[in-house]
Amino acid sequence: MESNKKYWKGLEELKNTPDFVENNKNEFAEPLPIEDVLSEAGLSTVTPRRDFLKALGFGLGAVTLAACQKTPVHKSIPYLVRPEEVVPGIPNYYVSTFKGNSVLVKTVVGRPIKIEANPNAGQFNNGTDAQAQASVLDLYDVSKLKTPLLKKQETTWSELDAFVKGELNKAQASGKKIRIVSSSLNSPSAKAVIADFTAKYPTTKNVQYDAVSYTGIIKANENSFGKAVLPKYNFDKADLIVSFAADFLGTWISGEEFTAQYTANRNYKSLEKGKMSRHFQFETGMSLTGTNADTRVPIKLSEEGPALITLYNAITGGNLAGGALPNNATADKALKLVAKELLQNKGKAVVVAGSNDVSTQILVNAINVAIGSYGTTIDLDNPCKRYEGNDAEFAELINEMNRGEVAAVFFLNSNPAYDAVNPKAFTDALAKVPFKVSFADRVDETSDLCEVVAITPNYLEAWGDANSYEGYYSIVQPTINPVFNSRQAEQSLLIWSDAAVQDYYQYVRNNWEKSILPAAGKTWNELLQTGVVTTAPKTAGAYGFSLALDAVVASIMASSKALDNNDIQLHIYENIPMRDGKSANNAFLQELPDPVSKVTWDNFIAVAPKQAEKLGYKEFDLVSVKGANGYEVILPLLIQPGQAMGTASIALGYGRTKVGKAGDNVGKNAFPFVSFANGTLKYATTAKLSAAGGREELAQTQTHYSFEGRNIIRETTLKDYLKDPASGSGNHHKHKVYDLWTTDKYEKLGNDWVMAIDLNACTGCGSCIVACNVENNIPVVGKDEVRRRREMHWLRIDRYYSFNDEKTGEDVTEEKEIAHMSNLDNVSVVHQPMLCQHCDHAPCETVCPVLATVHSSDGLNHMAYNRCVGTRYCANNCPYKVRRFNWFNYWNDSRFDNYLNNEFTQLVLNPDVTTRSRGVMEKCSMCIQRIQAGKLTAKMEKRALKDGDIKMACQQACSAGAIIFGDKNDPNSEVSKALRSERIYYVLEEINVQPGVGYMTKVRNIDSETKKAHA
Amino acid sequence: MSGHNESILREPLITGKDITYAQITDDILLPVENKPNKAWWIGFILSLCGATLWVVAVSYTFWFGIGSWGLNKTVGWAWDITGFVWWVGIGHAGTLISAVLLLFRQNWRNSINRSAEAMTIFAVICAATYVVSHMGRPWLAYWVLPLPNQFGSLWVNFNSPLVWDMFAISTYFSVSLLFWYTGLLPDIATIRDRAVGMRKKVYTILSFGWTGSVKTWQRFEAVSLILAGISTPLVLSVHTIVSMDFATSVIPGWHTTIFPPYFVAGAIFSGFAMVLTLLLVARKVLGLENYITMFHIESMNKIIILTGSIVGVAYLTEFFIAWYSGSEYEQYAFINRSTGPYWWAYWMMMTCNVISPQLLWFKKIRTSIAATWILSIVVNIGMWFERFVIIVTSLHRDFLPSSWAMFYPTWVDVSVFVGSIGLFFTLFLLFLRVLPSIAIAEVKLLLKSASEQAKLELIKEGHLDKEQVQEYIESLEKFDSVKQEEYAKI
Repeated sequence: MESNKKYWKGLEELKNTPDFVENNKNEFAEPLPIEDVLSEAGLSTVTPRRDFLKALGFGLGAVTLAACQKTPVHKSIPYLVRPEEVVPGIPNYYVSTFKGNSVLVKTVVGRPIKIEANPNAGQFNNGTDAQAQASVLDLYDVSKLKTPLLKKQETTWSELDAFVKGELNKAQASGKKIRIVSSSLNSPSAKAVIADFTAKYPTTKNVQYDAVSYTGIIKANENSFGKAVLPKYNFDKADLIVSFAADFLGTWISGEEFTAQYTANRNYKSLEKGKMSRHFQFETGMSLTGTNADTRVPIKLSEEGPALITLYNAITGGNLAGGALPNNATADKALKLVAKELLQNKGKAVVVAGSNDVSTQILVNAINVAIGSYGTTIDLDNPCKRYEGNDAEFAELINEMNRGEVAAVFFLNSNPAYDAVNPKAFTDALAKVPFKVSFADRVDETSDLCEVVAITPNYLEAWGDANSYEGYYSIVQPTINPVFNSRQAEQSLLIWSDAAVQDYYQYVRNNWEKSILPAAGKTWNELLQTGVVTTAPKTAGAYGFSLALDAVVASIMASSKALDNNDIQLHIYENIPMRDGKSANNAFLQELPDPVSKVTWDNFIAVAPKQAEKLGYKEFDLVSVKGANGYEVILPLLIQPGQAMGTASIALGYGRTKVGKAGDNVGKNAFPFVSFANGTLKYATTAKLSAAGGREELAQTQTHYSFEGRNIIRETTLKDYLKDPASGSGNHHKHKVYDLWTTDKYEKLGNDWVMAIDLNACTGCGSCIVACNVENNIPVVGKDEVRRRREMHWLRIDRYYSFNDEKTGEDVTEEKEIAHMSNLDNVSVVHQPMLCQHCDHAPCETVCPVLATVHSSDGLNHMAYNRCVGTRYCANNCPYKVRRFNWFNYWNDSRFDNYLNNEFTQLVLNPDVTTRSRGVMEKCSMCIQRIQAGKLTAKMEKRALKDGDIKMACQQACSAGAIIFGDKNDPNSEVSKALRSERIYYVLEEINVQPGVGYMTKVRNIDSETKKAHA
Repeated sequence: MSGHNESILREPLITGKDITYAQITDDILLPVENKPNKAWWIGFILSLCGATLWVVAVSYTFWFGIGSWGLNKTVGWAWDITGFVWWVGIGHAGTLISAVLLLFRQNWRNSINRSAEAMTIFAVICAATYVVSHMGRPWLAYWVLPLPNQFGSLWVNFNSPLVWDMFAISTYFSVSLLFWYTGLLPDIATIRDRAVGMRKKVYTILSFGWTGSVKTWQRFEAVSLILAGISTPLVLSVHTIVSMDFATSVIPGWHTTIFPPYFVAGAIFSGFAMVLTLLLVARKVLGLENYITMFHIESMNKIIILTGSIVGVAYLTEFFIAWYSGSEYEQYAFINRSTGPYWWAYWMMMTCNVISPQLLWFKKIRTSIAATWILSIVVNIGMWFERFVIIVTSLHRDFLPSSWAMFYPTWVDVSVFVGSIGLFFTLFLLFLRVLPSIAIAEVKLLLKSASEQAKLELIKEGHLDKEQVQEYIESLEKFDSVKQEEYAKI
């Protein structure tokens, strides 16, 4: 029952005073001090202890509300009017032509970012070389001019045109000569333009010269067969190749094409048929081709002529004078053997020589006729048009200029102030020419001396064409609008000659539609899609040789004697990265290690180990080299095994002074060592060496050259291979592998991406390295960083030397034993591409504390850059040392100013591959972006992935087809077949990391007889 | 504790006449309660310069990147991890002394455990700075902790020895700190009781309300014993785990099962060397000869010779196993160590760690303060080289000769290391100023039983065997803090 009792809280309530009634209405007995608190005085007081929770609550609430603000959204602005066929993220491909080779250009939202070989080019689809791969960076070179220059001042094209026309009219009126100096022009349209220009200005003549000349061969063929052409060589038809200093796999005429031909006879497919060509190389400096030869014999420059005479005598039984090598018994013996084998291989052999001497090449022609090469391995009826330069014409030009006969000179794709034989003589003569125009894209050494620099676009911005072989035409089409205010040289010439068609695009099109397309039955649009037109090749005929050789031999012997004095014989050569130095500002090429010396960012003087010992020099000592003509440079010395005693080699293409940030003053110019004699350029001279004092360490990517007898390199000989295909592969003694995880329990589903690399096909040229760099945005780090052994290349090519012991005939591979050998001439070389092996039991994966590198279900070793904290433990634990660490912010650090440190050059980046920040590890991803793209394409097309849908960047660039990539779970894929080869071995398989890249043994076509010849 | 008399055969742990409890407090608190002397200032300024250098070098590294060190694609660790392992190793003596020797009732530890533990803490701090600063992206260092995160279900890799390291080092640091601080409580209370003003307030807070009641002492003893129990496995585990950074890898020269015991022995070896380096100076400068006596020095030297010999055997075992394994990579790694381009580092290590400590077999050297101090520094140098040899010579030439490279340190490498020594000494010198460098309470325990004066009294009482007394008196000859005349009279 409810109590009726009432209790009072106080007398006030009982009495119900007015005060109480008033107060009782309020919730609180006392008024809250809100006013006080909110007044200024209240706010400024210290928060009392009792307000702590209030303050905390308010603070938390305020922060929570503030945190509800959305993070700023950066909108990418879509195209207002979308260009046709441009979809962000989806690349477009256009055919074009680089240096006479048809290529496929990948563009992403209008930016060309990658070059591939054109698969439509048929027999001319031979992969791409390093130059082609790197060329895309030239487009984004900030050292280029943005507007044309008139007397060193920026100008407009109309002002420039008015000035040039005025000058041309003056020249015309004076009746003096007009000269267009170009390197070999193999563009039919450009030739037509020059013809039109000549029609308007009849005193015009096109002087073609090449910095590295092939005039000798052309003249020799004119002399021997009445055909002034470079022949087409077919190394694929040769079972026996004998090369005298021709670096045909590298720099000689067309390296990637010859590589494809050469390896077709030596790769795993050929070996499976039991066939492999045999290759002898006689040369002075160690060339890329020399490193691949089965037998390589070092000869002095002065012995090259006598060696050829010896060979000629041995083959034909002739008795030409001078056929003796009194000081080189090894070469003499080897030549006898070569002669015997050449006669056994008549019609299936070829002899090539790298010399630019006409007489030498005539003798080579005679030898080739004697062994029946013409019509089989050498084709004179479908000649090569890559090089047509004429050394004598250029020499004559200097005389003309000196006599004041030249009123105007135009430089097209040529830079004689840098690469002429005697730059001083050239520039002095040039000063006498009143009007000079350069069609360069920058102020280079020659443009600097010209009144007008009519800047030309990169080939990726230009129209044009090429005709590098008889009956093989390819188109150059632009893949981007000209970035700067440039104009094609051809168009300028058309404008200046007041041609009827002044638009070069129209001109090219008219030219093709008139003279090339009808014969091939193709339309212009079809051409733009396929890129090439080939006509049926002519039948290659056999050629006879009937000339007397006495005069030739006399000339050869005279040249030989001239070199054979007490001085060092100096061999001037092109190396693979720099070639003739035209792309010296390309950081990718500067950082590409020379395949033989592994030197980047420099040239050097190479001498044999015993030679250095004899001269008292240590590696990297600065040596002053004084040529016979008085030209002197100081270069660091490199000890090069295989270099002939009494000789030294210096690479061309370095020492540019006006090319741009990356290339200026890298190395020393060797062109002035070249001499002009008997109508051609000579790349051989003599020099005196003296210590210059000091030392300069070269930036090498590999400093240890022997593989210490480790089974990471496995070799066999062809003889042994034919007896037992698994010979040398170590596959006879497999250990039982114990595993914590039974593999049958966790069957790999889907794809299992693996690779096979054929060591017998890989020539070591390095184009894969550049392809990988471009594809994967790999930073260029510069000379200092390479010196600190910090180059970032995901893919490298390891080059090992081994030496043949003359007494035992055994290969000596260990450093300590090599040190005791007396004869280091007999060196054999192996190139081993090394990249992330995507091990199934990857040691890198277990040690990463943050799981930044993990294994994928399709057999790849992933690298999550964003998760990487940079402990470098993975790199330490990688047995292959293929992981690369970003020591600095290479792409955005002013100290590495040779690569990407500006927004323009950053346009070359592949948007499918993220750039890596400082402090992050990176490595080969097996072009995961390509795998992903391939999968997506297949998915969109509602089909399964096919073998060959996905190609790695390195694989695609490789001329030799040495890299095979694919799905191991598909038993019919090419890689599965390749991995079933008995030659397959896995590097370091004994530590059971289960690498995913199989290597095929190196097979050398040598036998006891060739070994004996050496000893 | 003082209820029984200690055998006269045992050498005294406290020397000097008329030592009282108050005297001990006064002696030990001398540097804490007074203005520092000139020697301290010189040492502190030098150390501070070193610490500043460390700040500069580490900031430079953070700003520009790890590239400012001399590392390369082949040698990914060099001075950084060498320094890290060196410091972690040095820390080990502290734990061994405080935990293992406590459990084994080795009373002589009472005089040296405090400084050794402080050294442990500071050495681990130095090591930990390397853990962070060697990372490419140190601002993400917390990613190695298994923290809940917003990156999906991203977790750390429990397979990685670096994660074990992180656990090992952080456990080690926290347990060492706890043990050290617990031990400090009665001593801080002593300072508190004698201090006035601001100092009193600070030490009051730091003393956690220590009352000195029997109950407090009882709990103190219990906690010390428990912490000693927890710490003891750490003596073995921490350096075992550090060694696994190398042992679990595939690199020849690293992939070695002998590493855990070998590293632990090496750690104790270097730790005792560092304790000697520090205490021989502190003893002199702070006038603590009566508490850190020749007996302590000799005992530590004996441990050094034991652990040094273990390390020496380990070096030889490695070589034997490399040969016996028949693995060419393993064999080459060891031949390269001793005869390759870094031969000098290897022989430096061999000389400093194995050969020169053998001098300690001679009692004269073992009990010579100068010789001991020099040898302790030699051992520290040798142990630095040991880690350098293991890390750099294994990495610089591993499987594929194409990648073989040399490591050349930059000024930043050198500065970070030299600076870390400066940092260590700065912390140690500050420690000497604010906290007692010898455990006051624990030393007092020894006064009644194990001190020279107590023993002298026993002798004077005359109930002891004459021969034993004679032996005891002879043993005192090596003590530099004992006045020999006293005994001549007896």
